[in-house]
Amino acid sequence: MERDLDQLYTALNAIKVLRSNVGSVFETVSNGLRADHGEEGKENKFMLELQDVLTTVNNNLRDVETAAANLTPPPGPFNLGNTAYLSQETTQERQALYGQLVNSYKWTDKIREYSTLAGNILATNSFNKTYKTFSTTKRRKTQTSNHNVPPEVIENLITGIDRLFPDVTINATRPFVPNPVIQASLGRVLKAIIAFKGLMIEWVIVKAHSESSDLWTESRYKVFRKVTENCHAAMCHFYSPTMPDLAVRSFMHWFHSYNTLFSCSCKRCGNHLHSNLPPTWRDLRTLEPYHEECK
Amino acid sequence: MGVTVVQNFPITENRTGPSTIELLTKRISALGAIQQGHFLVDCETYTSVPQLGNPRTVHILHNSEQPATVFSILETENKTIPLATDGLFDLLMIKMANFYTSKKQTKAESKGPRYEIGDFLVKLGTVTVSQNFKGVLVEVEYRPCVVPAMCWELMREFLQGFLGSTAQSAPPLYLQNRMQDIYSPIDTIHQYLEQFTIYRKAPGLRT
Amino acid sequence: MTSPGSAVDSLSAAIKCNIIPNQEYLLQGSVLDQYVEVLLHRLRGLCDNVDSGPESFNDHELCFTLRGNTPNSSMVLPLRVRRALDVPDAPWQLRYVGQHELGDKNRPTAVRSSIDMACSSTIVEFLTELGCRVDFEYIARGYMFRKGRMKITVSKIFKMGSMASKPNESVEPISQSYLVELSVLAPSGQDAIAEDMRIFAEQLKPLVQLEKIDYKRLAHIQ
Repeated sequence: MERDLDQLYTALNAIKVLRSNVGSVFETVSNGLRADHGEEGKENKFMLELQDVLTTVNNNLRDVETAAANLTPPPGPFNLGNTAYLSQETTQERQALYGQLVNSYKWTDKIREYSTLAGNILATNSFNKTYKTFSTTKRRKTQTSNHNVPPEVIENLITGIDRLFPDVTINATRPFVPNPVIQASLGRVLKAIIAFKGLMIEWVIVKAHSESSDLWTESRYKVFRKVTENCHAAMCHFYSPTMPDLAVRSFMHWFHSYNTLFSCSCKRCGNHLHSNLPPTWRDLRTLEPYHEECK
Repeated sequence: MGVTVVQNFPITENRTGPSTIELLTKRISALGAIQQGHFLVDCETYTSVPQLGNPRTVHILHNSEQPATVFSILETENKTIPLATDGLFDLLMIKMANFYTSKKQTKAESKGPRYEIGDFLVKLGTVTVSQNFKGVLVEVEYRPCVVPAMCWELMREFLQGFLGSTAQSAPPLYLQNRMQDIYSPIDTIHQYLEQFTIYRKAPGLRT
Repeated sequence: MTSPGSAVDSLSAAIKCNIIPNQEYLLQGSVLDQYVEVLLHRLRGLCDNVDSGPESFNDHELCFTLRGNTPNSSMVLPLRVRRALDVPDAPWQLRYVGQHELGDKNRPTAVRSSIDMACSSTIVEFLTELGCRVDFEYIARGYMFRKGRMKITVSKIFKMGSMASKPNESVEPISQSYLVELSVLAPSGQDAIAEDMRIFAEQLKPLVQLEKIDYKRLAHIQ
């Protein structure tokens, strides 16, 4: 068995050598006359070189033939295993293997790309908003509902956000006891009427100072109608039943960034106006201004 | 009432008044403006009779945007006092005809179409001083904002968008000291008076 | 779309149609302090808005005249400026009242031309620079009633104590009575309203006598 293997290795080696020399033949022919052939008798030198390489190739071929002759043919058919199936249908035209292989490769590639993107996006909006904590090790006090809290807690929350920013003035009225409706004036830019249900923000409407403080009439100005829509989006984004005052505080932080509504330019396109509107969107994390179309 | 900027649009050599208005109309319609009626701002000037002592001038202006109001600006040597009253002030001026006389030749007015784009109001006015054509005035109002300092950049961008290089880069003279104050309709009237004074002094077309 | 007419055009059209109220029909009287409560009760019953009660007002009125510099100039224009002291944001009122005509016995009320308008608070400076001088000023506090087009005011006139900076303090009444005025602002030529005013005045008869006052005769009483 070892002798067979030795002979096999010799034969394979011989083939390798033959191959490399044939490669060098073609290389020599394709390179043609080179600079180091000198000035005189270039062609002769080239011809000599070519002859040398071809004789080497001849010798190699003879070696391969002798080595192959020394090999004993195998006793029976090899056990090819699964690779036997490769010989069954070898014509590429009859078998759509290549096309199918390419398609499935593309598909898996795309799947991988899309799933990374989707994973990133979904991670930002974790839907894990259930009450229950599944850890049984520490016993937390049962979370009271967010819309059925005693009025003092709401009072504290409102005074808390009142103190948060100097240029946001809060007026609280209680038309629907005990849920307050607060009017937050952001400097001289705009005012927002925010209706609470317990500790959660339920409805926001943004208007100019000169307009009525009614919760139900929309603003006359397109820019404030757009900001109202964005406030609703933010209100839903910052909603967190487990930490309601953090939710309200984050919302107020985000809302406060609107005091530059008319004076700053969009971070992406650099202009103040896009389709006649200033940047009405504030990024939920970085608070940077963007146009509706640029976000 | 939002922040308003009143600006003169220089008429190039080979154009007439109506064709300039048409050019601006085309530009503003391309931006998506819709015409919403017309506007008219007019100004009449009265001077005091010598029996009253120091000469004083009273300008009475009307703006079709505030139809129930009459604006008057009193100018003495060192003071300017604005006043806004009901429409009957014109009758009162008639009663004061013994004390303040008007020079009919200096009646100035700016009138033309009025367009709305988004939250902007654009008015393209043809200025005539006692029936002689003097120039073109463009008024742009951004209705949601009432503090000039906050939205000047925004308005300049808008003005450049359709006036091109003729848009001023600095705010109007009257507003420069009042950028942080809340804007009111009398400020628009002051700007118009500023412009009308320049138009009246210019002989022929204002360049 | 037609262009808007100028304001002057619409004003002259309004004058032609006779819809601008530029005449005031007036009846005046007075009642002593101790009987004013009874009068207020009677008025409360007779006038509109029985349940909400009378409106009180606290006004500061300044009277200007515009006259020429020459001493015996015949051109004199009286103007009045009124502002509410209890509602600081309310607009100021500018008023021109002309000489009133008493007419003959058939005319029940005094008629005078009056032009009334609201104005911004810069009016005092404006009038001063225009050349007007303050003739006098006073504070009026009282109640106002309405009945249809008629306006009835019951007010006490106070003399200004100190300067205009603190007009609410240190005021003293000039008399121990209340001035009662019944007036209607109407366009010229609607004399029928005068008859209605006279009938209303009859209902207040024993408490207060509202009549047309001839100021020229008052000037002679010394």
